[in-house]
Amino acid sequence: MDTMCNKPRKQILAIISFLFLSFIFSANNVSAADGAKIFKQNCAVCHSLGTNKLTGPGLAGIATRAPGDEWLKKWIKNNDALRKSGDAYAIKVYNDNNQVPMSAFEFLSDEELTALVEYIKAPPAPEEKKKDGAPAADGDAAPAEQGMNPLALLIGIVAFLIIIIAVLRGVRFSLKNLQNEKQGLPLEEQVGPWTELKTWMGANKTKTGLVILFIVGGLASSGWYALKGIGVYEGYHPVQPIAYSHKIHAGDNAIDCQYCHSGVEKSKTAGIPTVNVCMNCHKGISEGPTTGKTEIAKIYEAAGWDPDKGAYTKPEKPIKWVKVHNLPDFVFFSHQQHVKVGKQDCANCHGDLKTMTTAQQVQPLTMAWCIDCHNKTEVPTMKDNPYYESLHKKLAEKYKGEPITVSKMGGIECAKCHY
Amino acid sequence: MATKKYWKGLEELNNSPEFVQKAQNEFAEQIPVEKFLGNENQESNGTNRRDFLKFLGFSVTAASLAACETPVNKAIPYVVKPEEITPGVANWYASTYYDGSDYASIIVKTREGRPIKIEGNDFSKVTMGGTNARVQASVLSLYDSSRLTGPTVNGAPATWANVDKEIGGKLAAIAAKGGAIRILSSSIISPSTKGVIAEFAAKYPTTKHVTYDTVSYSGISKANAQTFGQEVVPSYNFAKADVIVSIAADFLANWVSPIEFSKQYAKTRKVSKDHAKMSKHYQFESNLSLTGANADERVPVKVSEQGKVAVNLYNAVAKIVGGNSLPSSALACDAEIAKAAKALAESKGKSIVVSGSNDINVQLVVNGINQMLDNYGKTIDIENPTYTHQGDDAAFAELVAEMAAGKVDAIITYNTNPVYTAPASLKFADAYNKVGLRISFADRADETASLANYICPDSHYLESWNDFNPKKAHYSLAQPTIAPLFAQPRHEGTRQAQQTLLNWAGNTSDYLAYIQKTWMEKVFPMQGKYMMFTEFWNNSLHNGAIEVGKGEGEVLATPVLDSAAVAAPLAAAAVKPVKEAPKAEEVKPAAVVNLNDVASKINAVKGGALELALYEKVGIGNGNQANNPWLQELPDPISKITWDNYITMAPAQMAKEGYLMMERQDREASLATVTVNGTTIKLPVVPQPGQAEGTIGIAVGYGREKAGSLSAKTGVIGQNAYPFVQVVDGTMMYAALNVSVANANETTEIAGTQIHHTLMGREIVKETNLENYKKNPKSGNHDEMLVTHSGVKKASTIDLWDSFDRPGHSWGMTIDLNSCIGCGSCVVSCTAENNVAVVGKAEVIKTREMHWLRIDRYYSSDMNKEVAKEEGVGAIDMYLEMENPAAANPKVVFQPIMCQHCNHAPCENVCPVLATNHSSDGLNMMTYNRCVGTRYCANNCPFKVRRFNWFNYNGNTDFAFNPTQDDLGRMVLNPDVVVRSRGVMEKCSMCVQRIQEGKLEAKKSEAPLKDGAIKTACQQSCPTNAIYFGDLNDENSEIAKLRKEEAEGRNYFILEEIGIKPTVSYLTKVRNCETTIEEGRKTSGHTEAKEEKEHA
Repeated sequence: MDTMCNKPRKQILAIISFLFLSFIFSANNVSAADGAKIFKQNCAVCHSLGTNKLTGPGLAGIATRAPGDEWLKKWIKNNDALRKSGDAYAIKVYNDNNQVPMSAFEFLSDEELTALVEYIKAPPAPEEKKKDGAPAADGDAAPAEQGMNPLALLIGIVAFLIIIIAVLRGVRFSLKNLQNEKQGLPLEEQVGPWTELKTWMGANKTKTGLVILFIVGGLASSGWYALKGIGVYEGYHPVQPIAYSHKIHAGDNAIDCQYCHSGVEKSKTAGIPTVNVCMNCHKGISEGPTTGKTEIAKIYEAAGWDPDKGAYTKPEKPIKWVKVHNLPDFVFFSHQQHVKVGKQDCANCHGDLKTMTTAQQVQPLTMAWCIDCHNKTEVPTMKDNPYYESLHKKLAEKYKGEPITVSKMGGIECAKCHY
Repeated sequence: MATKKYWKGLEELNNSPEFVQKAQNEFAEQIPVEKFLGNENQESNGTNRRDFLKFLGFSVTAASLAACETPVNKAIPYVVKPEEITPGVANWYASTYYDGSDYASIIVKTREGRPIKIEGNDFSKVTMGGTNARVQASVLSLYDSSRLTGPTVNGAPATWANVDKEIGGKLAAIAAKGGAIRILSSSIISPSTKGVIAEFAAKYPTTKHVTYDTVSYSGISKANAQTFGQEVVPSYNFAKADVIVSIAADFLANWVSPIEFSKQYAKTRKVSKDHAKMSKHYQFESNLSLTGANADERVPVKVSEQGKVAVNLYNAVAKIVGGNSLPSSALACDAEIAKAAKALAESKGKSIVVSGSNDINVQLVVNGINQMLDNYGKTIDIENPTYTHQGDDAAFAELVAEMAAGKVDAIITYNTNPVYTAPASLKFADAYNKVGLRISFADRADETASLANYICPDSHYLESWNDFNPKKAHYSLAQPTIAPLFAQPRHEGTRQAQQTLLNWAGNTSDYLAYIQKTWMEKVFPMQGKYMMFTEFWNNSLHNGAIEVGKGEGEVLATPVLDSAAVAAPLAAAAVKPVKEAPKAEEVKPAAVVNLNDVASKINAVKGGALELALYEKVGIGNGNQANNPWLQELPDPISKITWDNYITMAPAQMAKEGYLMMERQDREASLATVTVNGTTIKLPVVPQPGQAEGTIGIAVGYGREKAGSLSAKTGVIGQNAYPFVQVVDGTMMYAALNVSVANANETTEIAGTQIHHTLMGREIVKETNLENYKKNPKSGNHDEMLVTHSGVKKASTIDLWDSFDRPGHSWGMTIDLNSCIGCGSCVVSCTAENNVAVVGKAEVIKTREMHWLRIDRYYSSDMNKEVAKEEGVGAIDMYLEMENPAAANPKVVFQPIMCQHCNHAPCENVCPVLATNHSSDGLNMMTYNRCVGTRYCANNCPFKVRRFNWFNYNGNTDFAFNPTQDDLGRMVLNPDVVVRSRGVMEKCSMCVQRIQEGKLEAKKSEAPLKDGAIKTACQQSCPTNAIYFGDLNDENSEIAKLRKEEAEGRNYFILEEIGIKPTVSYLTKVRNCETTIEEGRKTSGHTEAKEEKEHA
């Protein structure tokens, strides 16, 4: 027994220690891949890896131009200190770039700096991108085509069954007559399927009634639900003029929702980012991982930015996005009310955009859906917000320990949303 | 109260069977089924049941199918978002409204860069946060598609470059040959604009600037020149006056600075238990004006007698305070004059006498009275004059003569429209056409501009920079709140007149820089608060209005910078007044004015059999915003008539002359022709109780043929009465003493809201007088009592239903009837805030106006049982007298009525789809998307405040005048309020969008809601602070305190006895008059009338 038990234990220990070691190893060994990430997060806004100048100079050939890796690390970490130490090359770089100081990156560890420098010195060659246009738009349509339409499937199955039944009936009839012929019995007359059904129905009235009831009930209820679905666009994900991916921005790059939707705590609308917000990053990032330069070029077109000259030279052309979440005009929904006061997470209504390529309406956005949530949700800030002090006291008295939901505060009254 | 009879109109008073029947119906007109069906053929063929079912089936299917399609909505963000804009959040900018007559410091609400609402600026020490209907409506005038989008040359579009080149060349040629160039403008109170004109005059030295006010007050300034040696209109302070005597000065609606005066006046009309004191206001006038309607004692006098009233008042005051009396003639109203004189003399130094006359002689006498009463420096300040009216009638008349003689080579008109407004006798249009080069800065091809060679359209004030100096030591700024609507590349664009003049003067400066330079040099040195100009400028711009100098003394110490620079034209050397009157004559000391001669001249004025007094309406004013449908639809506060001007006549006189008495005002009225000195117009005759017999009144500002597209859609609105203005002794007289009126034997329809939604004689307004109020703060406000099985009880204590739980807020509104002057500012403000549709004359006639807030005007006569007893009038005569408006000079009460947000609302119970119900904070909510239009609620509303959308006013081309039907006009809509569609009921929401916004701000800032943080639109716009709004659950709120204080005082709820428990309460009107008003019914023993209500 002992040996039997010891063996797996050792194995477990070995696995744990391996995982631990590999964790330490991975933590210590910041690879060039991490260098890419660090670069993207911190540097790409102002520096390109090519020769073109953004806010700062292009970094191609930095290995040969700069005095050395250690110098580079010092410069990145705190260029101001380096300049003040009287480093001649540092001062030269500063003067060459119109004396626009670079930010300090004191928070980068030595390992990270090493990885970053390695990455900058030898960036991976840009991959050849597929040239076919608007892949995101195609991608949108694709899933719908791949998945079988359930209705068609159902009709197919029913039709198949009917054919099978018809064939089997014929087969049965032929076999029966064949048998009858063999046994010398009189041949049965071919009875039409309809007559046979009627005979069967006459004999089994209860079953027939149940079937009819089932069919009528089914039709009525499906009709009812179909009517209720009018005007509900759950799952709506229109093709946008730019194949923008929430997954890449909010998911992979973990950009906070409010960086772009900055009105969410200030206004009733969260706001669609204006092109100048896109340009904050995309001045430097002219190429994306899935669509290459084509989609980002559309931002440049809208902003009037000439990436070659690095200047806004052309006329501005606003981007006409397609609105995904549409509420009727007679509904007043306030984002600040829900996000700032009610502390709701964006995902509660908008779904997990970090995994969505194109924004999609994941909730029905019907009044029933609103009320359902208001009936269940407590206001998290109610206890601490002095605004609610007296109201909270009175409601706590009234409902004695019951959760004080939004509805109990009057949150489902008509004029809270309709005026 | 039982014997005091109130009536809304003569028709109610006469109580004809037809009126009673109509009044019983909620909807006075038949339902227009045929109009809904649209196709008349269809109706004549008859729709049978099968067809109906087919249509029904088809439309249901079609509607469902149509609904299945996903609407694709675009969302187009800015490319580069302006830093200050957050979509969905309003920005407020301080600015200034000045149209040549009304001045108001304002704040402008903008949403996504569009101005959508105007409110008063509390920082201003002049208008103190007040606005009037015209200021409120001016935001719609910005989005007027009749505005020119670029300069025109003889009517054809042109480019600014060409226009500048051509005009520059022509002006240079004229100046070179010494030809006369004239700038004709309304009053200019902008120091920078005066500077610009001076620059222009420096470049073209033959330039002279003539100021012409549409409605002029030059009589006042000329009189002051004689009395004080200062040709100015003084500033008045009604707040300091205990006794006010106005001789036909409508100072609450139009006269000099009505917004400022309303604010001041209201301060003297606020009474409470601890402050049972109010001003006493006498009014002598011909037309029943808004001011007269608010007076404690109003005396109708003929136009020709107004001057004599001043003389007799002078004598009566002189008799008491000691002074020489003037030659006078006896008047019928001498008894009232004596009473007024006594009151004045008792409040020496705390009284004010004003006259609406533009006659220098009358104003001289008025000056004399005020001097005797020692009012100068106290209620009237000649040292700190008002600059808003600088018009010089004599100079204007002289200019017209010069033009007619062909002596003027070029004329530039700015913010003035004399072809429309000038008196007929001057024949301005002919004279104008004789000028070689005619340039206009008008924003549209109006009556004058359409005759000009060049129109160089000025930008709207909300698109412009400007500065203002309305009063000595008071300055304000206007800043653009929107980029010019008409600009490159789509249009050639409008350009601010000042910029145009600067360009022509060869000054390359931008007008903003020019203003800053002016302020740096002239205004900045006058103040001592800021060290740096930038700081001073930014603060001034932020606050909108500033007062420079700490007090009178300091302002006087810097006369060179102020009065010399502004009161007189800025560059006096360059811009000489056309009329070069010998200065010595004007600067006569007070003693030199011989009032005896003046009085003799006044006494020599001979009255005619029928005299005409012209007046300005609260809405349309002088007519410069005649293209504004909000103002056209605003009911006149007195006559309640919309979309028209008309002849007001005393009812007795009308009956005598056989005019239709308008049993229903919204039906037919007789047309009559009015002729003065050969000019004739035809207008409907309207009975006006209180009109002095032997006089008629006609409003100016109507009959504009070229005001814009509104007249194309509705026909020319009213008739132009300006030609009737007379030029007498060098000043304009807005009256005519010899008028002939003839019945045209035709009829027309008039759109009055007078008796719409009448309250069937229930006790709605409560009134007392000051004497009684002092004795008993609850006088006039008796409790409604009901008989119950357990005895007689106060109606307020009986409740059939459970009350609502109010854990959070409990919104309440209280309206002080004593402060409300009925000006209608709230009505327009509500229209702007809540996207209320304009329905037009035809629909108003059918009682379908959409205003959520109306101001009911009640007339009442003085006669009651006590007066009858005192005067020994018999019972039959007494009742006759009570109900005879022709003999009586009725008292007027205004009462704003909006949804009363009843806690037991009758409308809520009857809605079959629960579209209207109650909120936990006390609002009666109306959900438009739920409403199916049964109109049961309106039928069940005792206040008649619900409005039904009979048509799609936003799409139906019959209502093309609606701002929402125009791409530009739509920009004025408040995005926070739904635009209602056909078939939906609507009503006052107590500005729930503002409540929601205010609550959210408090939640966000994590602080309890501050009292006053939420103001309803009507409350904010009220120039007399008559409307209180707030949280009744907050013990420290102003309204909660007021309700508590007035609970056993003036506070009352309308129709309390029917158990509806309204949220809106009213405070009894207190009139400072001698007539005693019967005490409220005793609470016991007066139950017979109430018994039936118990069953109701």
